[in-house]
Amino acid sequence: MTNRRVMITGLGAISGLGLDLTGFWDALKSGRSAIKPLDPLFDGVKISLGATVPNFDPESYFSSSELTLLDRYSQLAVIAAQEAVNDAGLIYGENTLVDAATIIGSGCGAKHTDEATYEQLYKQKRTRAHPLTIPKGMPSAAASMVSLHLGTRGPAFGLASACASGSHAIIQGMTMIQSGMIDVALVGASDAPFTYGLLKSWDALRVASDDTCRPFCENRSGLVLGEGAGMLVLESEEHARDRSAKIYAELAGGGMTSDAGHITRPNILGITNAMEKALHHANLYPDDIDYINAHGTGTIINDATETEAINRVFGTYAKDLAVSSTKSMHGHALGASSALELIATALAIHHKTIPPTANFTVADEVCDLDYVPNGSRQQEIRAAMSNSFAFGGLNAVIALKQYAW
Amino acid sequence: MSLEIVAEIIAKTANCKIEDVKPESELVSLGLGSLDTITILFELEEAFDIEIPNEVIPSIVTVDDILGKLENLNSAA
Repeated sequence: MTNRRVMITGLGAISGLGLDLTGFWDALKSGRSAIKPLDPLFDGVKISLGATVPNFDPESYFSSSELTLLDRYSQLAVIAAQEAVNDAGLIYGENTLVDAATIIGSGCGAKHTDEATYEQLYKQKRTRAHPLTIPKGMPSAAASMVSLHLGTRGPAFGLASACASGSHAIIQGMTMIQSGMIDVALVGASDAPFTYGLLKSWDALRVASDDTCRPFCENRSGLVLGEGAGMLVLESEEHARDRSAKIYAELAGGGMTSDAGHITRPNILGITNAMEKALHHANLYPDDIDYINAHGTGTIINDATETEAINRVFGTYAKDLAVSSTKSMHGHALGASSALELIATALAIHHKTIPPTANFTVADEVCDLDYVPNGSRQQEIRAAMSNSFAFGGLNAVIALKQYAW
Repeated sequence: MSLEIVAEIIAKTANCKIEDVKPESELVSLGLGSLDTITILFELEEAFDIEIPNEVIPSIVTVDDILGKLENLNSAA
């Protein structure tokens, strides 16, 4: 029962690129960016751009009584999880779904709920907090709400590793399936960071662009925040084959490291080791990889360090790799980004199409790889990697392989 | 404390019509659970600017129980 192979059999995505997986992939393959001016702007906040979910009406998904318990990040999580489960052909109440694990990451959690209550207490000087602040705002709220709405009764918990939260959640689900503990896992991450307090805090870090997100370009000026949720159904190979499930790709391996260094600056050794460990865990050689979905935030230091790390791990073969950052399109949706990017990577393998780095102008002189600028590329992808390097030095890299029955 | 305001708050939480909230109505029969009850108490505290002590919660079964607790608080004030 050990070291079982793990398949991706269901996907769900809600993001700046649209309300569902189809909208997400259509935009990615056409190189359309969701980044636009925030409307309305937040008073007193410098950040003026974002990739917010368009035309999102929570009441078309949930009843008013359900919404009383759902922070915006939980809403997005439940919607994407429901889509992933439907996509996998799993049915509410059936054993496969009932026994599934639910592991949901988040970079910033239920900020809307916490900030609404704190605004009332601190600013309005009200003397009472709303009684649902705790159950709605706890960091594991999305995991609980996904479990509750979808009827999953297996292992369930929230997981936090900033912008790698989705990748860590996915690797956790994978290892639980590999070990034989479970057969099916619903994994991913959700984030809804467009709140006054959080935007002011990002302002203070001075890493947000007021132009757009241009990863790896010489005129890149920082990241652009996004919101959304990405969810995946993972399944043991045997389980997936027994029910003739659609398989997007094999989840072949994961590499996780911690820099134990600077709280925000990426460390070349930490991220290099994470990529090497992912290859080793997936039993892949560097030249088996055709595509890397980069962390690619669009900050000066990330893109230079990530490029150098790829060159170190892949050597001369690095120049033959396609590397793109889909953050240029869905924005940096914190923990959710890492899940959305793995979904983009799985879809790239499935559709034999590499999504581009959008908003690309001219490559920085220290960024010397093939970044698939502006237009997608039709290409067979034997294996691919998705990089996530979080604040705090928490790195997670996932390797996927094409799977043939 | 008027039944009207209390009924309005309960109806909002229960997502039902105000006229369905009667003094003898049990909160459970209106589909209300423990989280709903503390939400109603929060709304009442806000509406009447009062403090409802935790000790009263176990003895609240009906709408009338709430009205009685509010009446007691009012006369004690």
